[in-house]
Parts: sequence; structure tokens; C-alpha cells
Amino acid sequence: MNLLFDSVHSALLLLFSFDKDLIEIVLVSLNVSSFATIIASIMGVPGGFLIAYSTFPGKRFVLTCLNTLLALPTVVIGLLVYSFISRKGILGSFDLLYTQKAIIIGQVILIVPVIMTLTIAAISRIDSRYRMTALTLGANPLQMAVVILKEARYGILAAVIAAFGRVIAEVGISMMLGGNAKGFTRTMTTAMALEYDKGEFVLAVALGITLMTLAFAINMLFHFFQGRTRSDVV
Amino acid sequence: MLYKLENVKRVHGDRTVLNISELEISPHKIYTLIGPNGAGKTSLLKILSFLDKPSSGKMFFADEAVNFSEKHLYDFRRQVVLLDQNPIMFTGSVRSNIEFGLKVRKMPPAARNERVEEMLALVGMEIFADYDAQSLSGGETKRVALARALALQPHVLLCDEPTANVDNENQEIILQIISKINKVHNSSVIFSTHYLSQGQKLADHTLLLQNGVLSDLTNENIFRGTVIHHSDETFSCQLTGQLALNLPSAGLPAEAQILRLHIDPDGVVFRQQDTDVGKGNSVAGHIVELSQDKGWVRVSVDVGVTMVLRMSMKEYHKQLPALGKKADLFIPHSSVAWSQADKPM
Repeated sequence: MNLLFDSVHSALLLLFSFDKDLIEIVLVSLNVSSFATIIASIMGVPGGFLIAYSTFPGKRFVLTCLNTLLALPTVVIGLLVYSFISRKGILGSFDLLYTQKAIIIGQVILIVPVIMTLTIAAISRIDSRYRMTALTLGANPLQMAVVILKEARYGILAAVIAAFGRVIAEVGISMMLGGNAKGFTRTMTTAMALEYDKGEFVLAVALGITLMTLAFAINMLFHFFQGRTRSDVV
Repeated sequence: MLYKLENVKRVHGDRTVLNISELEISPHKIYTLIGPNGAGKTSLLKILSFLDKPSSGKMFFADEAVNFSEKHLYDFRRQVVLLDQNPIMFTGSVRSNIEFGLKVRKMPPAARNERVEEMLALVGMEIFADYDAQSLSGGETKRVALARALALQPHVLLCDEPTANVDNENQEIILQIISKINKVHNSSVIFSTHYLSQGQKLADHTLLLQNGVLSDLTNENIFRGTVIHHSDETFSCQLTGQLALNLPSAGLPAEAQILRLHIDPDGVVFRQQDTDVGKGNSVAGHIVELSQDKGWVRVSVDVGVTMVLRMSMKEYHKQLPALGKKADLFIPHSSVAWSQADKPM
């Protein structure tokens, strides 16, 4: 227990000293996770809306595939993307391997299914009268979609929060595609894994505390936007 | 002609919810659509508002054939508004809800504000303009939904049971607005209701739907009964523990058990001494309600179920029925129609 308490104590000292290395790692993590979440949201929210609102042969199969992709291991994504962006891969000429862009690509693949499935669930729960009302008041399909998305905003924001939580905490993709290069692709999770391997628990615990604090702060921010601070929402 | 429907059917799964061989609706009139629950009123209104497509049949709007392509439907929807039975408010204020349809039509802000104020005044909701629309009561929500629809000054206003689940005060307000919008803006109005009297009071024409089919019968005196005795000549249909009617069994299938009986209010009469009781059923009860409706008098008699008969003013003055007074009614066989309630169309 002493080891844990000592580590937490030292970690807090490190945090409040605003250690340069620590800040650098946190910024890299935030940078890749934010970009991955934004890109995945741009792809996943409209994609989820289209799937939820259209009827086509094989829709059930598509939903099953999306649900299956939720269980996709990060290592598999890492291997898949690696095979494309390594020097011998078809995208090898872009020199993406061991860059933040490579991590972002892998993370986008990881969370697009998360955002899509949760968006589909959020939109499917929206009362069909919203669609009917928008149409009868003269809305075109795009205006109708805006109405539905607006009414489903809490569910969609929850999807984005879940996706962000998934990428900021993942380690496999960042390690395999980023390479854990200090100052460039070292994220909080890869740094934690490295420090653990070195037996340096203090920085690992400090990063763990930072990760949880950041996750908490971001969730608070999202909840603020969701209007969850309203007294009528439990 | 505003609408013309030919052999229009709407099928959900293996159930035909609407089957209209022919329907013509004239412009600038008020129509009321009457029928029991599940009669197909909402299905018909959704088709008339271009929010649903018939499974088969032809439809014409303003003498133009409707081909149900998205582009065509979008153009027609801009002339017709459906007020839902349980309207839903978008997130935002009452004002933002009312101006929704104007915004999507790209009306300039100044004209839009003016129209919104006008509509708020029309439905008596001026002080609610900046309220959260989703926090309104049921009656207030209906009034705002009506204002939201009327703000568009539609050629056709379709209302699905506009007075359902609304208190008397709000019912009166809504009916007055519907009437006014027809007179002032010359809009055509089609509204559904359970209440025959309410429909007839307001409407130029009445359409009755039964089991998805337009009917000539009225919506009153519809009862569910059980066949308790069946011979070659007659059968008995029990409506309540006390009340059973004997009817000719011609056409009644041997397996029929549950029937829906319709007794024509114009056919039911007070029994006279010279009434030939062999051609109908005599039932006794007491008068529970009297009302006047466009030169006719409706008399409701509790005979175990509430039986309505309609009589002319001349007949009323001759009979002088009074509330609480005992009444012997005669129900001729010719005024009773039946269908099997447990058999799909």
C-alpha cells in the first residue's frame, strides 16, 4: 500500500509542478483524441441518421455488422492500418506510420461504429411525430433531419462522449501506429505503459490521475452543454 | 374538386385499414370525418396530408393527379397542414415553434414576427410567446399547434380529433378558430371527431368511416353484442345482461358470435298502440338526454345501453318527451344493420 500512497503523493507533486514532459504528453493525447472524435462524429452522426431513417435491403445485416465492430480489438485495427501505411503498404508513400495522423486514422476506425450505433439508437427513440410535424409544416428532407438531430441531441452528445472516452483511454492503436515517440506520438496511455515497464510508477500514476481528471472535466463540460444542470433533468 | 380518391386502399401487413372506392371533397368547405376508434380516420387524414401513401388507388389534389414522388409530395405538403391528434412541440419557445413553417419557407423576419404575433392573438396565447413550448398543458399545446399550422395560411387544414383530451373551454376556442379560419381565409377544413353533434354543428359535410370504409350510416347507436340463440328464422343478440334483440337470421353465418350492431337513430320511434311489434323489437327505458340539432331533436333513452333516436320538431311537439320520463321504444328490423365484429375486413 505504501507504494501506491507514495506514488499518488509524488504524482500529485508532479502534477502541481506543471512538469513540461507531462504537459507535452497530455497535449498529444488531447490532440489526437479530439481530432479522432471530431472526424468520427462528422462521419458517424450523419451515417447513423441515414441508417436509422432509411429502409433498404440488408439494413438488419448492416446493424449487426456495426454492433460487431464495437468489439473490434484495438490491436486488430493497429495491424490493419499498419498493413496499409507501412512502407510496403498501398499508402506507404504518405509516410504516415509513427505519426499522430496514423493514430487518428486508427482511432477514427475504432469509434465510428460507436458513434453510429449510439446515434442510431438515439434517433430511433425520437417520437415519429417530430418527423411528421416537420414535414407537414413544409420542411424539406434536410430541414426535417435538422429537427430530428436537434431533438436527439442528448443521445448524440452521449455517443460523442462515449467515443471520446474510448479513444483517450485506448493504448493498442497509439502504441502500434504511433510508436510512442517522445514529444510526437507519446500519449498518456502509451507513456503509462512505458513507465510501468521501466518500473517508474510515479509518472504512470500521475498520468493515470491526469487521465481520469481530464475525462471527468470533459464529461462535466458535455453535461453542461447537454443542459443536464437543469433541475428537471435527473 | 379539392380531393378526389378512387379505389384508395391502405394496407398494413395483412390488415386493410382503409378502403375507399370513391371520395370527392369540394374546396372552401368544412368536412367532418366521424367514426369509432380504428375506423381509419387518422389513416385517411395522413393520406390527404401527403404524409402517407396509399397501398393502391388513384388520388387527385386540386384536379392534379398525385404521383407520390418525393418532389410532388413536397410541393403538395406546402399547401396542406395536418394538426395531429396529440401534437408535439419542437424544443424551444412557443414563438420558435409557430415560426418554424415560416422559416422553412424563408419568410423575412419582420413579416414572420408580425404573423407570429397575429397567430398568438388568434389562439389567445400572447403571454406564452417566450415560454418553453414543451412545458405547456395539453389544451395549450393544441392551441399553439393550431397557431403553428394556421401561421402558414394553408389551403387545406386537416385536424385529427382537435378537441380530444381537451377541456370544454379549450374545445370551444379550438372549434371557433376552425370555423373562423374557414370563413376569413376561405381555407378548406377537414377534421375528425368522435362526436357526431360536434361535427354536424360545424361542418358543411359529414363523412362517416366504419372499418376503413365510407358509410352512409351515422356514428350513433353502434353496439357490440353476442349471438346467444340462432335458428333458421331468427337469432338473438345480447347487448347487455338485460337487453337482447331478436333479428332475422338471413345472411348470418352459422359461426358468427360477436356482432357489431348499428341501429339507425332515424328508424327508432316511440312505440304506439298500432305499432306492428312483429317487425321489430320493443324496449323500455327512461329519457336521459334531449338536445336540438339543426331542426332535429335527439332523444337519448337508457334501455340498458343509451339508445338515441332522432325526431323532427313537429314530431317532438306531438310526443313531448321529457327528461326522466319512461319511454317505450320500437326498433324496426329495417333500421338494424350488423357486421361481424370479430372478423377482419
